[in-house]
This record gives sequence, structure tokens and C-alpha cells, in this order.
Amino acid sequence: MAKAGGITNAVNVGIAVQADWENREFISHISLNVRRLFEFLVQFEATTRSKLGTLNEKLDLLERRLEMLEVQVGTATANPSLFST
Amino acid sequence: MELDKSEPNNPAMTFDEVSMERSKNFVKALQELKNLRPQLYSAADYCEKSYLHSEQKQMVLDNLKDYAVKALVNAVDHLGTVASKLTDLFEQQNSDISTMELRVSCVNQQLLTCRVYNDKEGLRQQQLLALIPRHHKHYILPNSVNKRVHFSPLRRSDTIQNHYQAISRLQPSDAPASKSLSWHLGSDTKSTLKGTAATAPSPKDPKAFAKTSGVFHLLDDEESINKKPSAGSQLSGGPAPTSMMQTYGVAPKDMEVAKPLTAHKSFDNPRQETIHAPVRSKSVLSAFFVKQKTPKLKAAYVS
Repeated sequence: MAKAGGITNAVNVGIAVQADWENREFISHISLNVRRLFEFLVQFEATTRSKLGTLNEKLDLLERRLEMLEVQVGTATANPSLFST
Repeated sequence: MELDKSEPNNPAMTFDEVSMERSKNFVKALQELKNLRPQLYSAADYCEKSYLHSEQKQMVLDNLKDYAVKALVNAVDHLGTVASKLTDLFEQQNSDISTMELRVSCVNQQLLTCRVYNDKEGLRQQQLLALIPRHHKHYILPNSVNKRVHFSPLRRSDTIQNHYQAISRLQPSDAPASKSLSWHLGSDTKSTLKGTAATAPSPKDPKAFAKTSGVFHLLDDEESINKKPSAGSQLSGGPAPTSMMQTYGVAPKDMEVAKPLTAHKSFDNPRQETIHAPVRSKSVLSAFFVKQKTPKLKAAYVS
């Protein structure tokens, strides 16, 4: 009877250990995927920042060109005699 | 996806409305991603309490594993949606900026063409009004020398006279103090042409003539040489003129050109009228007396 009890205990321990290993494996899978998600977020943040920077530069250039055009058109309208033939 | 559903329902949406829809969808996706955080926190608390207080721990554990997997997949899906909508917004903004750049460059090009046309018109008007001096500085007399220069009117100089006269007309009436040689030539040729009597040059002051520049000696000799063939032998030039040329350093080409002209003159003139040289005005003689001292006359030698 004692031997049977010992065997069952060993089996239970074995099962528990196996279940524990399975859980650990599951947890490792989940953590790995979460880390991959985190890496994707970091990479996405870097690319978004660079795209926003280029967009900002383009907008600045556009603003400067528009200001210059505005000034040129203003001077042209201020001196209409230049265009009279 | 929500945009695709909305487009067939409203096909007549404008560009601004489409851009507004895209931005709204992005904001919604971002809001949903933000709402995932409290949901995950509440789910984690519930699972912890149920595992501690419940008797069927294995079942709770299995449910927790399934929920964790689904939550992770849901979070990845939401992140993907937000990233795609943000990328669409970036592309739209880039296209808008590129169109704006094209329009700005078009306006810039239009302004540039207007400016170029303006400049060309101004240059054209200036070219029409500008009086460009045609005389080299070499031939412009200085301010102190305001004397007349006499020029013997040969046949071949008719075109030259006309040229000088044209140049004198071009020059303004209010000529500056330093009048050009051509002006003097033109004015004097007019006066000589208008002159009545053509008298021979006075040999009273040979010294004066000797002291003057080679130009005036050349004219005097040309006249004397021209008179000789008209009076006597017409065709033959003779050695005398050549010797005279050598003494005064005159180019033989000019004399050779002058000789046949005078010969032809005598032939063309049926009445055989003697052609006399024009009279030199007193002002020229006085100029010679004054000019003896100045070496600048040599610079005014006409080659």
C-alpha cells in the first residue's frame, strides 16, 4: 500500500512538473511575443519621428517660398508702372 | 475598412471630406488602443482573485491562458490598425505638400518670366535711346585745343564727308568743350563746300607750313601734286611727286589713288576748267601758329 502510494506521489509530482514546464513554456511564448510587439512599437516610433521631421522640413521650405512669393507679388502690385508699356 | 464602407455610401465626397474621414478613423483607432489598457488591467485583477478564491484552479488557469493569447492578438491588431491609418495620413500629407510645391513653383516660374520680360523690355528701350559714341579716344581732341582742321576735298572723300556730316548730326548741338575730330571735319567740309572762291594756298608762310604736322603738309602737297597733272601731263605721274612723298613720308598708295582720280577729273571735265583747292581760313593758320608748341598734334595724325 505504501509502495502504491509512493508511486502515485511520484506520478503526481511528475505530472505537476510537466504541467509546470508547460506553463513556463507558455509564459515564455507570451513574453517573447510581447517583446516583439515592444520592438515593433520602438521601430514604428523611430520611423514616424523621421517622417514627421521630413514633413516639417518640407512645410518650412514651403512657408519660406510662399513668404518670398508674397513679398514679390506685393512689390509688383505696389509698382504697377513697371508693367505699363 | 470603415472608410471603404463609407465610400460606396457617399461617392460624391470631396477631397477634404475624405481627408477628414481618414483623420477621424485614425483618432478612433488610437482611442480604442488606449482603451485596451484598462480592460487588460481589469481582466488581470479578475483572474487573480478567481484563482485565489476558486476551488477549480486548473480551469481558471486554462481560461487565463486563453484570455492572455486573445488579448495579445487583440493588442497586435489594434496596433496594426493605428500604424496603417497613420501611414495613410502621412502619405496624404506628403501628396498635399508635393502639390503645393508644384503650385508654388508654377507661381515662381510665372514671376520669373514676368521679371525676364520686364528686363528685356527695359533693355530694348534703353538700346533705342542710348547714344553710343562711335569715336575712339584717340581721335577726340582735348579741351584746350579748340581749333579747326582743314581737309582737302578729294573726290574719294565725298563718302567720308557724308559720313562726317552724319556723325556731326548725331552729336548733340550742345557739344562738350572737347569736340571730336570728326565734328570739326564735318563742320569745316560744310564751310568749304559753301565757299565761293577757291583760291590757291598762299605760299607766304612756308615756314609755318614746314613746322606744322605731316598731315597738313600732306594735304598741301596733294593739292600741288593734283594741280600739276591737271595743268600739264595728265596720265604720267612723274618722279617729282614720288620724291615729294618720300620727303614727307607719305604712303604711296594714297598718292596713287589720288593721281588717277585727278587724271579722270581732267578727262571728265570737257571745259578743262582748272580745279583749284579750297581756301584755308585764317583760323586754321592761327591754329598752326599756336599748335607749333604742342606735340599733341602728332597724335591727331590721321593715318
